[in-house]
Amino acid sequence: MTDDRKFLRLRVIAPLLILLFAIFLLPGASLYYSYSGGKSCTKCHEIWQPYRDWHESAHRNIACSECHGDVLTLDAGFHLKNIRQLAAHLRGKIPEQVRLKTDDVLQIEKRCAKCHREEYASWSAGPHSATYAKIFLSSDHNQKTLLMDDCFRCHSMHFQGSIRDLVTPVNKQGPWRLIDSRLADQPAIPCLTCHQLHRHGDPLSRPQTKPDDAGPHEEIARPSLALFDRREQDYVSLDRLPLPQMYEGTRLVKISPDQRQALCYQCHAPEANAQIGSGDDRTPIGVHEGLSCFACHEKHGQTTRASCSTCHPQLSNCGINVETMDTTFKSVKSPHNVHAVKCIDCHTKGVPKRKAGL
Amino acid sequence: MQPTLRLNRRAFLQAALTAAAAAGAGVACSRNGSPWRFFTLDQARTLASMVDQIIPPDQDAGAVWAGVVNYIDRQLCGPYQALQETYRYGLGAVDQTSQSNYGKVFADLQSHQQIELLHRLEEGKAPSGAWKQLSSAEFFGYVVDHTMQGFYGDPRHGGNREGVSWKMLNLPYPPIRGRVRSDLSKPRSG
Amino acid sequence: MSLKHVNAVIVGSGAGGGVVAKELAEAGRSVVLLERGKWFTPFDERKDDLRNQRTCVLGNAFGPDERNPRVYVDASGHEHVISPTHGAYSNNAACVGGGTLSYGAMAWRFMERDFHLRSTYGAVDGSTLDDWPITYADLEPYYEKAEWEIGVSGDDSNNIFRAPRKRPLPMPPLPPTREHQILNPAARRLGLHPFDIPMLRNSVPYNVACEVDAKCGTHNTVIPKAIETGNCELRCECIVREILTSDSGRAAGVAYYDSDGRLQEQSADVVVVSCAAIESARLLLNSTSRLFPNGLGNRYDWVGRNLQGHAYTGAIGLFDHETYDDLGPGASIAVCDFNHGNLGFVSGGMLANEFIRLPYQFASRTAAGIPRWGAGHKDFVRRYYRSSISVMGPMQEMPVFDSRVQVDPKVKDHWGIPVARLSGHRHQNDLLGTNFMSAKAEAWLKEAGAATVIRSGPISLDGPSGGQHQAGTCRMGNDPKTSVVDKYCRVHEVDNLYVIDGSVHPNNGGFNPVLTIMAIAYYASANLVKTRKGMGAT
Repeated sequence: MTDDRKFLRLRVIAPLLILLFAIFLLPGASLYYSYSGGKSCTKCHEIWQPYRDWHESAHRNIACSECHGDVLTLDAGFHLKNIRQLAAHLRGKIPEQVRLKTDDVLQIEKRCAKCHREEYASWSAGPHSATYAKIFLSSDHNQKTLLMDDCFRCHSMHFQGSIRDLVTPVNKQGPWRLIDSRLADQPAIPCLTCHQLHRHGDPLSRPQTKPDDAGPHEEIARPSLALFDRREQDYVSLDRLPLPQMYEGTRLVKISPDQRQALCYQCHAPEANAQIGSGDDRTPIGVHEGLSCFACHEKHGQTTRASCSTCHPQLSNCGINVETMDTTFKSVKSPHNVHAVKCIDCHTKGVPKRKAGL
Repeated sequence: MQPTLRLNRRAFLQAALTAAAAAGAGVACSRNGSPWRFFTLDQARTLASMVDQIIPPDQDAGAVWAGVVNYIDRQLCGPYQALQETYRYGLGAVDQTSQSNYGKVFADLQSHQQIELLHRLEEGKAPSGAWKQLSSAEFFGYVVDHTMQGFYGDPRHGGNREGVSWKMLNLPYPPIRGRVRSDLSKPRSG
Repeated sequence: MSLKHVNAVIVGSGAGGGVVAKELAEAGRSVVLLERGKWFTPFDERKDDLRNQRTCVLGNAFGPDERNPRVYVDASGHEHVISPTHGAYSNNAACVGGGTLSYGAMAWRFMERDFHLRSTYGAVDGSTLDDWPITYADLEPYYEKAEWEIGVSGDDSNNIFRAPRKRPLPMPPLPPTREHQILNPAARRLGLHPFDIPMLRNSVPYNVACEVDAKCGTHNTVIPKAIETGNCELRCECIVREILTSDSGRAAGVAYYDSDGRLQEQSADVVVVSCAAIESARLLLNSTSRLFPNGLGNRYDWVGRNLQGHAYTGAIGLFDHETYDDLGPGASIAVCDFNHGNLGFVSGGMLANEFIRLPYQFASRTAAGIPRWGAGHKDFVRRYYRSSISVMGPMQEMPVFDSRVQVDPKVKDHWGIPVARLSGHRHQNDLLGTNFMSAKAEAWLKEAGAATVIRSGPISLDGPSGGQHQAGTCRMGNDPKTSVVDKYCRVHEVDNLYVIDGSVHPNNGGFNPVLTIMAIAYYASANLVKTRKGMGAT
């Protein structure tokens, strides 16, 4: 056979094979997967463990394809990745643990919104939905503080690479740009930062009517709450995360036992000396000492709007409208900052005795 | 999460082992019909009894619960590949020694008998013809060292499940560690 | 295949090579910097208790890997082919930055007497101890340059034994740890002179540093600067086979295997060898030719001789109260009261509290009186992990002619290059000194209130020294018959070949040697730039 004919045959046969593959194999695979309820996925044993975890998780009724994408997609990248993984598998290069790549995390992110619309909208409106561009290209920040790998611990912990793989140049002069510009408008703290989807738990059921007062049996933390730890590339579940012992000088500060705060403390963390207000710590002291972060901050949006009125003026000691009495309560530098304000700050001549009944 | 202390020791060992084996299932480097990568079920059972005497469960979890068998199993298919024969031979010899001294395999011995036998292995005084290719002291040395690694090392290698040893040492993981903030001059809203 | 000719090719991008690259590139010389390892990021090798420079039970995080064996000859003459995780391998990180990527980053200046030990103490039996051809004063400006360019924090003003410095350190010390607060008053009560250890670590914003903006090495300071000039090309994963020589006996360049395993030749006006004591000696010895049948610089059989490191010694104290506060890096306070002037032996070393011990390191430590396993061992670890302080120090070793690096006649590495063969023994003085220092560490810990103190056992004199502090194999001296390089680090017999790393130290101080290696690199580079004007500017 001449080279020409060989080439011709290749030109005809190759597209034909691809076509056949697309018409028969892909839908077949899709059917196969959905028919077996995900079990067939585990035939390839890299994903045996995630499958097992998913099967016991709150998301057990959601099919693999809902989050990981369906094989019928026209996205070439999806198929290429699968083919690469298949090739690696056939060559015996079997990873000890399968992990999501930066792109996978962002893909899944969007699919969360299909069901969790309210939460997603709230998060989207809040500060935790900040994009890569907003966090890493802020010249205000970058001129004063050098970008470093430790930034990833709290911002874009799922990014698979080093700071020099994300931003260039790594200096204080700039101008800075993202090496992969597609990340610019992607969220740097996605759902999968604080939620582990394959974690053991019961499916969410929404009661028709919310009880007026939350009794001791009401669930306050979903089983999915967990921190994605970049160092181990794995989740640490909420019950294992530490709550700190905080100090004001030498005084041990009382903090709320609300375990959900352990997630907040991982990033809104004090310096090693555990002093109130050091580093990024926002532990309340003074009149608000002992309150949980969630007493005021909405969990997905972090908004505090109307949070004062949740408790005030009923519990207020002076009956003044606390939201307007001092407009500096939001400023960290103000002595009246809501996290630190004390009775003595206003009652400079001495704190009056509590009236009975308040 | 603490091991359930209501279970008796042997039942607990069995349960923990099964869980650990299930967690490690899959990436086998030998085909022996076992859920482990390298060990046979019997080998894993013997090793489990040894490592749980080296770091026994008390108010804190022991080596088996922490996944030390899984750790060793995994390393024998990785960086410790060269020690496969040592483990195969050594674990067989432990059971042989146990059989000839007590008439039972190691895992079926009473706890105090296990400790007694391990001391003799450590001192190289195990009276048995089982240790011709390898000294019992050398093998025991490997097991002790690898147990310490699996219990106190990073969870990413298959042991120290849920960071249990770090928690025992009051080193909560991940640590709460903020940064010294450089002044960004703009006051941030609280 | 030959590549574009350059002014200088530098082999090795560690403490020495990184500095030389920057100095030459900034002076307008074209430079190729060859590195056998990779340029690691903090994401490549995430912190790991079982894979790091100090604990490599599951491998060396920063290389070298299994493709790089060595031969070790034990005290009874038996040869062992060993891998880089073996204790006798004397591993040093093989990557951009070399040891400075993974080091503890203590930034010591040697003391004045360290440069003329022979004149101070006289000849030492069984040792090749000799004075340096340079003095502390020659290096002082370059110590200062290293401190300010790479970045050192600390405060040694209470160290009355220190050599005079013209300029203070650029950064204040790190905040004192709890161990510091316990050890400081105890040392003062004993009449010692404790102070904050100088460290190549940012205590305030200073240089671009590591993952957490703390530790500075050459890979994140001078090497990026060298590349920024546009005159320096860094090539990673390049394994240099030999230094090529011309018919006239000058260095012509190097032959190396690139990252794809292809043999390349890089010609240059000047060749600089900065591979650390073992690999630098190996490269010179592997570069044989008609004119240099025993290897380069080895006419008098001095290349590879006098391999040194540090005999580490001290004690660990167990306390009734917590001593741990998780403030990195742990090491914080030191004394230099025992570096010199001790009775009964030559020199000595500094003593400092140790870096934070990882749980596995603590648990796998064995000592008489501590159960090795079982319930007793678990109790011990649980009780004392947060209630112990370790004080250790590096003893200045006496150079021994028979402690040496050779190239093995049989064993070759993955690229077919003969590997380093390590043999020899330590000097008796090392044993006397370490026993003395352990006793001093014990006394310090007892004074600090330790309920129990466990001293390091006596060191073994078998086998050569080395380790991360390896030094001495290409001694600096004025006499070509008893040294390898001259006072400017130039190989005596090849006028365009330099060795710039710890190899040139005639003795290695009672200190971590990195700042001295950096200072010598600045010093030698300054001379190189000044004297080699012929080397065309780009």
